[in-house]
Amino acid sequence: MLAIQTTELSKYYGDSIGIKGVSLEVREGEVFGFIGPNGAGKSTMIRALLGLLIPTSGSATMLGKDALTQGYEIRKQIGYLPAEVNYYDEMSSRELLEYHSRFYGEVDHSEIERLAAYFELDLDKQITDLSFGNKKKCAIIQSVIHNPKLLILDEPTSGLDPLMQNRFFELLEEQSKKDVTIFFSSHNLSEIQRMCDKAAVIRKGEIIAIEDISALLKKQMKKGRFVFKEKPKDVKFPEGIQHEQWHTNKLTFEYVGPLNVLVKWMSGLDLVDAILEEPDLESIFMNYYER
Amino acid sequence: MINYNLYTKELKRNRKNLTTWSLIVVAFTLLILGIFPSMAEMGEDLTKMMDKLPAEIAKALGMDAQTWSSITGFYSTYYGIYIILLIGIFTTSTGATIISKEEKEGTSEFLLTKPISRKTIFVTKMMSLFTLTMFIYIVQTVCAIIGFYVFGGGNVDWNAFTIMHIHGLALILFFTTTGVLLSMFFRPMKNFMGMVVGIIFGSYFLNAMSKIAEPVEWLGYVSPFHYLTFSVNDPNYSVSITGAIFLLLLGGGVLFLAYRSYRKKDING
Repeated sequence: MLAIQTTELSKYYGDSIGIKGVSLEVREGEVFGFIGPNGAGKSTMIRALLGLLIPTSGSATMLGKDALTQGYEIRKQIGYLPAEVNYYDEMSSRELLEYHSRFYGEVDHSEIERLAAYFELDLDKQITDLSFGNKKKCAIIQSVIHNPKLLILDEPTSGLDPLMQNRFFELLEEQSKKDVTIFFSSHNLSEIQRMCDKAAVIRKGEIIAIEDISALLKKQMKKGRFVFKEKPKDVKFPEGIQHEQWHTNKLTFEYVGPLNVLVKWMSGLDLVDAILEEPDLESIFMNYYER
Repeated sequence: MINYNLYTKELKRNRKNLTTWSLIVVAFTLLILGIFPSMAEMGEDLTKMMDKLPAEIAKALGMDAQTWSSITGFYSTYYGIYIILLIGIFTTSTGATIISKEEKEGTSEFLLTKPISRKTIFVTKMMSLFTLTMFIYIVQTVCAIIGFYVFGGGNVDWNAFTIMHIHGLALILFFTTTGVLLSMFFRPMKNFMGMVVGIIFGSYFLNAMSKIAEPVEWLGYVSPFHYLTFSVNDPNYSVSITGAIFLLLLGGGVLFLAYRSYRKKDING
């Protein structure tokens, strides 16, 4: 069964586009990345899935149920970690987590204590007195405390220090081992690279690519750094070379295309040194983004 | 239909405001009833003072020597505006913020991502609002009954008192629903208080003006005070069943409109 399926999902705010014709599928148990720069439509997509926004057109199902008409059933099995954490200031973290848990049934006090200890969160502090990072820890706990089947994370690590980020990723790995589907929205590519099996790239409200992370990394894109004896007067670049930059006799560039074409071109050059690298996800993403 | 978890949270969240406003209303009620014995002692002086008021103004405000000669009449002139206003400020502003506060403070996202439908949220919040309204109303009524026993000297028209309080409840419930509607059509504001006071006072004075001059008599029809009066000295004073039902139906319609708006509302971050 698919954990998430959207078909031509669109949300407009008047004339401006939130998301447009988004179709994607997330399999159960998958850790799915959702990459895009700020304002690309990531949060709009998540809000439409969760029923916070009423879509203009299209459809969405989660865990086999219609997101618009069966939201109540779906939300029983979902854990959501928002980018911005807004809670009731008059409550303590403990009261908030207990209030949250009662929506799902009984309060598991021992699990609240365990996770609070793991994330070093003082449960008796008032929400209003918590730093953003500590509010985020509280949000992380509330997203998993009721054992959801699907976790929706929107910029989950913002506000967390590196130590807590590591603990958070360990928690996600633990969830993933329990076959929890994770929908991980972020503009931080190293996080997506670390956690996800597959990712969709969103730009200006539209999905521009959906790829396996390993496939994304293995794209035939190469980063090159050549050193010439002296800068040649006239260089004919083969098709696929982009972002070429000269620094005296050094050339840096990116290449997308068959490797043999690149090697053939290199053989005709008077090179002192040549380095071809696998690109990081950032470069691949930028490559998509600039298309 | 009602989520007990949300219901109790709403009551807890509003308890400080409820306590403060209940104390204000109780204090005001006891103050009014407490000064009645000294007003009654003024006797003829009061009658002369009232006679100096233009007849239309006295009629519009329900102030005349005959009305003020009994504790029920004296109380009715204050109950019909100030006590309704004080209770109304609390209940209507609570109605105006009970849903919009979540949006303004960003907690809607937390609430609406829980396994609870918008319908249940709306109904539960309305039930907690009704509970808060009934609490302050009952506290004030009980306090007024005690005050009548203490300061009334055994000369109390309990029938008129009951009718007055039934009319008061219908008016308060109606104003409370307008608060809920306000929050659906205005951006979540820090404070709805000014608007609430304006609506209650405004509708009171529209009704008062309609009694002064015939050409503006029609103004009374747009005021809820027109349908439920506090003229306790009217020999035919009785519960206006049609007026009460009309306002309660109107309030129900207002809530239905508010619910329809809430059901389709986009919750932005």
